[in-house]
Amino acid sequence: MRGILSAVDHVQEPPDLWTSRLSATKWAERIPLIETGGDGVERWFVDGQPAAMDGAAPAGALMPDRAKAPLRWEDVPEAAYRPAARLAAMDAAGIEYSVLYPTVAGLGGEAFGRITDPKLELECVRADNDGLIDEWAAASPRFIPQCIVPLFPAETAAAEIERAVARGHKGVIYPAVPMELREVPHINERVYDPIWATCESLGMPLCLRAGSATSIQAPPPADLSPALDLAYRSITGSTSMICVLVNLLVSGILERCPKLNVVFAGSGLGWGAYQFEYTDQQFTANGLLGPGHEHLPSELLRRQCYLTGWYDKAGVESRKFVGSGNILWSANFPLATSTWPSTREYVERAFEGVPDAEREQMLWGNAARLYSL
Amino acid sequence: MVQVKYGLMSCDSHAQLGRDAFTSRMSAGRWGNLIPQVVEVEEAGEKVHRWLLNGQVLAGSVVNCPALMHDRRYYPKRWEEVPSMAYVPAERLKALDEDHVDAEVLFPNTPVQVGTFPVGDVELELACVQAYNDAMAEYAQTSERYIPLALIPYLSPIEVVTAEVERAVRAGHRGILMVAAPEKVKGSKPVTDRFWDPLWATCQELGAPINWHASSGVGIGLPRWKGYDEREAHTASTGHNYMGPCQVLPALLFTGVFDRYPRLNWVLAETGAGWLPHLLERCDHEWERLHLWTEGIATRPSDVFRRQLYVDFWFERSGMELRHAIGVDRIMWESDLPHITTTYPESWAYVERSVEGLPQEDREKLLFRNLMRVYHLN
Repeated sequence: MRGILSAVDHVQEPPDLWTSRLSATKWAERIPLIETGGDGVERWFVDGQPAAMDGAAPAGALMPDRAKAPLRWEDVPEAAYRPAARLAAMDAAGIEYSVLYPTVAGLGGEAFGRITDPKLELECVRADNDGLIDEWAAASPRFIPQCIVPLFPAETAAAEIERAVARGHKGVIYPAVPMELREVPHINERVYDPIWATCESLGMPLCLRAGSATSIQAPPPADLSPALDLAYRSITGSTSMICVLVNLLVSGILERCPKLNVVFAGSGLGWGAYQFEYTDQQFTANGLLGPGHEHLPSELLRRQCYLTGWYDKAGVESRKFVGSGNILWSANFPLATSTWPSTREYVERAFEGVPDAEREQMLWGNAARLYSL
Repeated sequence: MVQVKYGLMSCDSHAQLGRDAFTSRMSAGRWGNLIPQVVEVEEAGEKVHRWLLNGQVLAGSVVNCPALMHDRRYYPKRWEEVPSMAYVPAERLKALDEDHVDAEVLFPNTPVQVGTFPVGDVELELACVQAYNDAMAEYAQTSERYIPLALIPYLSPIEVVTAEVERAVRAGHRGILMVAAPEKVKGSKPVTDRFWDPLWATCQELGAPINWHASSGVGIGLPRWKGYDEREAHTASTGHNYMGPCQVLPALLFTGVFDRYPRLNWVLAETGAGWLPHLLERCDHEWERLHLWTEGIATRPSDVFRRQLYVDFWFERSGMELRHAIGVDRIMWESDLPHITTTYPESWAYVERSVEGLPQEDREKLLFRNLMRVYHLN
């Protein structure tokens, strides 16, 4: 059996990614960079604000204690930010290809959406996209780079998608809830259509990342230990995608863009079984099938949506309801929740008894088709 | 004792109290028009009935009972239009017989707001809660086929809360209905706050399950899009029915509530069941990866949930096929009578589709035996 095509992994951007690309005289301390606090902890700052990140890099999977992210850059393991070290880590765990998401830019590309100066936002986005091509895609074809985009207006986002794809990007990451980042229209509004249409016409999957929108996650209880807090946010991140997916199925976006593929990264799988049945049931009970809604939600899902698993044995067992053609696998490297370094063992556990053809589809074929490998 | 005649019991139905339920029980001299009551107001040139809550006219129908109307999408505008079956307990039994349902757990209906009276005043809230609990206990005395749930005050000191629960249980209530995010009631505290521990202790001692209902007031989700009509908005919000509660459950686990009260049962009504394998496995995964047993979470999360958590179904097939990943002892059925999504009056048609092919033993557990155990009907 060959390795897996991991549909969700994260690149930790190096400390000089933006400082080497953005003008210091123009942007000064607004450039994303690492600063040392009075407590000796090194933190990332974006536009002068502390980034919502665990430590200097959320690389728990690489740490002796997975709950403790490195607090200083010198303690960040190279596999988090250096392609050569990453390839070695992938080899060690049977990960053949890796689809890349950012970190400082937000796990779901949301961090720069909070920047109020559109020029700075765009420069930050472009630097991230360029860095990924220059450092990672150039290092190995086993890395599948995905671009982030400026939040709004959609024309600016679409232009960056075209530029990034021309440079070699293979997918587009967009914040799941743009409305919580700054004052922009509801994601269902047609003003966003240029983004969806550009992804569709270029054959780029649109990727929405779980855990990138706080307004759809219950706040963690006060006074949890760091490990419990980390676990809690990871757990609620997955189920936060429920409302994003259901909204997408009803929004009309998938009807307007029938060739658009949407990936729900970090979603987990098991809730899909219930949700798709439920959405169809309510859709039918509400008599929505007709003009404007030509397909059942489950038909749109089968045609255009992908959930991602990384440990989910019960999720794989429910594939009859989710659709084995709509499941991607991932390692979630190097987050604490990652199956690395035991990715192979987790795969064997989750796919025990699954027929080879279906297994191949979920671990490889579906993602290979999406990313035209 | 309730008889098993049909072999089907609903763990989530909604009982409407009479329009004088509060005015006849609360002091007019003290509370005046702050007492929940039905008033006539003019709307678009039409004289309609609405509930007055805390002196404010509530939006929405005077009684949420579309399934009892001739047109199942119609919400009555005036009290006279409301079928007596909606609020007269003896009449409602006819609906149960028509639908071949033996018994039902009674959740509130209009004007209760997700299990709360958002009135802002400690004394007034308590008076409303006590009137409700008294009226519902009286309602349920009509027949042993009714299983009433008590409400709690959110602004009172915890001793007052527990005293009210004890009083309500003595009057016949079998559990309590809570919101999952009490802090949304201004002046109250999160469900994970130690403030609530005496309540958990009381409910555990009394064998009274905590019930959450649908989205349970967690209040997370996408903002509603103004481009949706009602039917689209309703369909697009289906995820919210369980997304909130299934996110708060791990918070209870991580703050040790289930460990401190291992015999306390927690029922999630109208959330469906098929998503539970995801939550169990998702929590287990983090427990394994982050060695959470070293953080005070001694027991594997799925074992805790399978010890204390109950979910239900009303239309689904997926959860029934996945029942072993949930736990056959953890699933109940609901009709949701008389709300829009109810299976009434064809509940058995839905039931047969959901449980088709299941062994008789499993069917009986899902359709009534689990419910009888949780609510001590044996």
